[in-house]
Amino acid sequence: MTEKLQRSAIEPKNPLLNASRNSNLPHVPGIRIGDYIFLSGMVPVDPQTGERSHGPIAEQVRVTLSNMRHMLESAGSSLERVLRVHVVLADISHMAEMDRVYREFFPVDPPARTAWSMQLRFGNGCEIECVALAG
Amino acid sequence: MRAKREVIPLPVRAPDTASGSGQPLSMAVRGGDFLFVSGLTAVDLKSGERMQGTTASETRQILTNLKQLLDAAGSSLDKVVKVNVLLHSMLEERNMNEVYARFFPDQPPARTVCGARLPDGVKVIVECTALA
Amino acid sequence: MREVIAAPLAGLDLRQHYGHHQSPAVRAGGLIFCSGMLPVDPQTGERRHGTLTTEAHVVLGNLKLLLESAGSSLDRLVQVHALIYDSIEYDVLNRVYRQYVANGPPARTVWTAQIEAGFKIQLDVVAAA
Repeated sequence: MTEKLQRSAIEPKNPLLNASRNSNLPHVPGIRIGDYIFLSGMVPVDPQTGERSHGPIAEQVRVTLSNMRHMLESAGSSLERVLRVHVVLADISHMAEMDRVYREFFPVDPPARTAWSMQLRFGNGCEIECVALAG
Repeated sequence: MRAKREVIPLPVRAPDTASGSGQPLSMAVRGGDFLFVSGLTAVDLKSGERMQGTTASETRQILTNLKQLLDAAGSSLDKVVKVNVLLHSMLEERNMNEVYARFFPDQPPARTVCGARLPDGVKVIVECTALA
Repeated sequence: MREVIAAPLAGLDLRQHYGHHQSPAVRAGGLIFCSGMLPVDPQTGERRHGTLTTEAHVVLGNLKLLLESAGSSLDRLVQVHALIYDSIEYDVLNRVYRQYVANGPPARTVWTAQIEAGFKIQLDVVAAA
């Protein structure tokens, strides 16, 4: 009988990016299971202050993906090991701007992606989650 | 042994975005046991041209393309484990479902369907995860 | 290998009741991928519309039944997409959800989406087998 995979929670080295703990929410920043890491959706948070980081969508996407990089690296993985990304935008007309910044983070052999728009909380312009290979 | 990540080279042309140089995504990426396929919209795979239509016709185009992509990647429709369908309106669920059922005749994958705001007047997006 | 998980109770077979062309869940590669779970009565399949609170309890109860029938459990959830009809219900969602994932919650993203039949919540989950 195959052994059951064990899950473990991952956390960012920068505690200001641990929204789960800081806001006492019923989730963890990410879960490692077998070969995979599943991250919770990430929104624009200033890594220096832990505060919401609003502003033009390009900046929001940049800070979110930058934080995602930190989260994956904290878990021994990296952006290069991302398999699929979900990008949710508050405003569908921001797709082109989002693409422009997104491209900077995944310049070669980008992951699979689905992008669309939904109502987002707290005035966030984007929410981004991913599945990656563990390190 | 460290699991490998591999972008599957596919004989298709990804649709262009407004920026004109193709979307920054790979259509299918293999990692561990699974193949992760990007959200697909109704396009002609050879030309990249959008195939706008009804929800039903767009679903048919997408799933026809998906079959082709999976076969080219060494997988197949019957290895799909999970599908996510995004509809521009949940009123179209039945229309999508009728077409969809024909592509997964037996033991269909798990699926979640919801309504959202989709880009460029697209009526439906289908993404999936399959066994590699 | 890929294995379809059958509905443990007739009400959870949405294909039979509503023609939704999907299996309740599929096991592969050590993971269980569940179809979006809706607030339906697990015995009869009837829609159990209510408040977000009552619907969330039905959904989470259904997932518990489904996962346990497959040898897994809510404690082995890996990722959840919580679809709610309006982001105003975020705190209400958390209040209920928290009760079911007390032993180490999974990763989660909350999406505000249009859900079928006017339901207020749908949970899309992956669990470890």
